[in-house]
Amino acid sequence: MTPAPLLAARDLRKRFGGVLAVNDASIAVAPQSITALIGPNGAGKTTMFNLLSGFLRPESGAIEFDGRRCEGQPSHALAAAGLVRTFQIPRVLTRMTVLENMMLAGTGQPGEALGAALIRPRRVARRENEIRAQARELLALIRLDRLAGDYAGTLSGGQRKLLEFGRALMTRPRLLLLDEPMAGVAPTLALQLLEHIIDLRATRGMTFLVIEHDMEMVMAISDRIVVMDEGAVIAEGLPGEIQRNERVIAAYLGGIDQSAPAVSGSRA
Amino acid sequence: MRTFAFPAEWPLAGKRRTTVGIVAAIVTLALVAAVVSPRADFAQFAQLVVNGVITGSILALAGVGATLIFGIQRIANFAHGDFLTIGAYAAFVVNSLLGQNLALAAVGAMAAVALFAVVAHFVLFRPLRGRGTVALALISVGLGLVIRNGIAIVAGSEIRRFQVSQSDVIELGVVRLAPGQAVAIAVAVIVAPLVGLFLARTRVGKRMRAVADNRDLAAVAGIDIERIAVYVWILAGALAGLAGVMLGLEQGTFDPNMGVGPLFLIFTAVVLGGIGSAYGALFAGLALGLAMELSTWDGFFGGLDAKYKPVLAFVVLILLLLYRPQGLLGRARIL
Amino acid sequence: MDIFNVPFWTFVAVIAGIYTIFALGLYVQYALTGLPNFGHVAFAALAAYTMAILVIRFASPMPLAALAGLLVAVAFSFVLGIPTLRLRADYLAIATVAGGEIVRYLALNLQGLTGGPLGSIGMLGPTKLAQYNGPWDALIRRIVDALKESSIFAPVASRDFAMLLIVWPLALLLLLVFWLMARSPWGRLMRAIREDEAAAAAVGKNVFRAKMQALALGALLGGLAGLLLAWQIGIVTPDDYQPTFTFYAYLILILGGTTRIWAIPFGAALFGLLYSGTRFLNFFPLSLFDSGERAYLRLLLVGLLLIVLMAVRPQGLLGNRRQLLLQ
Repeated sequence: MTPAPLLAARDLRKRFGGVLAVNDASIAVAPQSITALIGPNGAGKTTMFNLLSGFLRPESGAIEFDGRRCEGQPSHALAAAGLVRTFQIPRVLTRMTVLENMMLAGTGQPGEALGAALIRPRRVARRENEIRAQARELLALIRLDRLAGDYAGTLSGGQRKLLEFGRALMTRPRLLLLDEPMAGVAPTLALQLLEHIIDLRATRGMTFLVIEHDMEMVMAISDRIVVMDEGAVIAEGLPGEIQRNERVIAAYLGGIDQSAPAVSGSRA
Repeated sequence: MRTFAFPAEWPLAGKRRTTVGIVAAIVTLALVAAVVSPRADFAQFAQLVVNGVITGSILALAGVGATLIFGIQRIANFAHGDFLTIGAYAAFVVNSLLGQNLALAAVGAMAAVALFAVVAHFVLFRPLRGRGTVALALISVGLGLVIRNGIAIVAGSEIRRFQVSQSDVIELGVVRLAPGQAVAIAVAVIVAPLVGLFLARTRVGKRMRAVADNRDLAAVAGIDIERIAVYVWILAGALAGLAGVMLGLEQGTFDPNMGVGPLFLIFTAVVLGGIGSAYGALFAGLALGLAMELSTWDGFFGGLDAKYKPVLAFVVLILLLLYRPQGLLGRARIL
Repeated sequence: MDIFNVPFWTFVAVIAGIYTIFALGLYVQYALTGLPNFGHVAFAALAAYTMAILVIRFASPMPLAALAGLLVAVAFSFVLGIPTLRLRADYLAIATVAGGEIVRYLALNLQGLTGGPLGSIGMLGPTKLAQYNGPWDALIRRIVDALKESSIFAPVASRDFAMLLIVWPLALLLLLVFWLMARSPWGRLMRAIREDEAAAAAVGKNVFRAKMQALALGALLGGLAGLLLAWQIGIVTPDDYQPTFTFYAYLILILGGTTRIWAIPFGAALFGLLYSGTRFLNFFPLSLFDSGERAYLRLLLVGLLLIVLMAVRPQGLLGNRRQLLLQ
């Protein structure tokens, strides 16, 4: 008996112009699992992420997070509820420092309300200190602590991926949607990142849904794998099953031959 | 690779039934109002239709250029109103100073503004591309100030008029026209459809629409965007020049500030048509012009006071942004 | 006129102080939060006109009328913001341009309410000169009298000097308040939205609410500047609220540096100097232009400066270029 999924989407559909980017796709993510979402470039994975995280509104279909319907809810509300995502091309705040990037994502800061910093400076400062400590701790975890005072715009692509990962963790999410988290990250660091993900699941009970092109990594860490092609989910199952699935091999390898190699760094 | 499709040939074709519905509702409302109202005066109605076609064509011609520039280079050109002013003054030079007829003056205006627009593209906007919409918009604001006040210094700030008879009246059935208005309506009736045909049928026109509609997709499809951008500035300049002459004729007089007022109406037409959609702007400009003029018709619930015409446009803009920011004819865009 | 004319420069300093407050509003919206507002002048005009109309036509007490003016300005920011702040920034830019134009248009054309082109003087019809400034002038006169009694200020005591003593402390106080706010977590949220609002939304921040706050605060400051200008000049006319007023504020921000709040008063002072100072530029070859033409020349230079600064130093004269050019 499998537990009720933390995130479940049924029959999502999204069209851009005449193109069906996501075509009646369904996906379920079990709590405390690591689920991989794979598929050739243009399969609709990122659109799926945008739909799940509230950045796009599905034309039809239903999404449930933690047992509550949430399609059509704004992205910030979903993030506040614990469903947080990163972006394929990391969206760091370039003209703010690395530490500020992290601290922005701190939760429960009363000072974000208008004028609160003037009316209740002490409460704001206290929470600010807590958030700063939390941010520094996470920065040490992702090995960016020495760059804390630098503008995020000076970071390399891999460092930006890490910063965005750290920033997402600042919100203490329950479900983290990671869009190609390893792309451009140095291999040794990527390995450490993997360990962190597995560790976070064990210690904090976090759940992950990951888009990734690196097949080795996908096979190594995923509990389940969902495969998309041309907007539809074409297979879903355990890593071993997916590896042997004829349809997946046909669609996925075909996609690889035409567009990009399976190594990290490719852009859909 | 997905197949690349050009946008639908005509805006009302296909599945845009909501739009047809909205337009039909407005027309029905106007007709009902006409029948119910005891003061319905159809001569006045015809007169207003003529005025509306003139105003609408001005907004349509200027709007096509503004929307294409936006679609292709992501510049909200706040100097676009002042492009009209350049057109009017260029025509004034040909018409009043060189003593040529208005047709030649209009051609001169189109050439002058097209040239100015291309120079602005190469000297200003192309080198600064990628600066972000807001920075580019501010730069276009600066350009507008330079144009407006440059004209005031060179040509003087006094009120000007074209050399057309101000007293003659041309009667066209129930409609009475000043000669200037007659020229304007003739231009409107000929040029607006020509622009539509150009965009629909010619290779360059189709490519302009394709690039404005989706720059990345057009680039992938092998369209030379740099070249199309130059063509777009030429077209936008020429149409703005013509619109400027028409505005000068419609108003009777003009001064260096004539482009300031119409700017927001042009932008309203652009938003109404869906930013980046050339047909949309063409259609929306006409619709906006007609709606503004016809709102003053006695048959329409006694008629709106003429001074509320721009207010009507403003209300339309705000409601549009609220409920249908992609424009009446446009479709939703991502991010 | 003599270049060392104290009353003249006092007047310029007052105007620079009012411009500081006006530009601070734009700083909150544009420099801090990234909202392009091309019709900032509308907020100033609405506050000034509301105040004048309430005092003149409804004999409302001045403080109440001023408060109502600020409220109307803020309410208008909601009219512009609610439809556009969920959309791309260009839509806000277009809506604000339209808003600025429509407010000026109404001021010109609703003669019965606004006095038309004559402005507040004509609010009671052509036969009667209307004015709203009584209570304010009384306050200023009391300050002037007090100044005359002090030994230090007696030589410079004037109406404008009294105004100076009100405007600049107020401007500096507001700068301090917004400096503190910009450094607070609230300010961090605003800057994050300026940088990338999708990123802010992705970590759970309500971007729309934050943007609306910035727009409304900017409108409040713009309205306050409008009130001060109306009191300083003593009459409200559509000509005082030309669209170019907004771009003076942009120029002030850019002259001072868009990344530093304390640069605003320097920008405003520099602008006041440049703007008023051009009337002393009556030597050759500028003497070839008559005074009317020089007014256009001045605006032309404003435009040129806007283009050049945006192209060459978008971070402003005192700004940090390295920070601005980061991608």
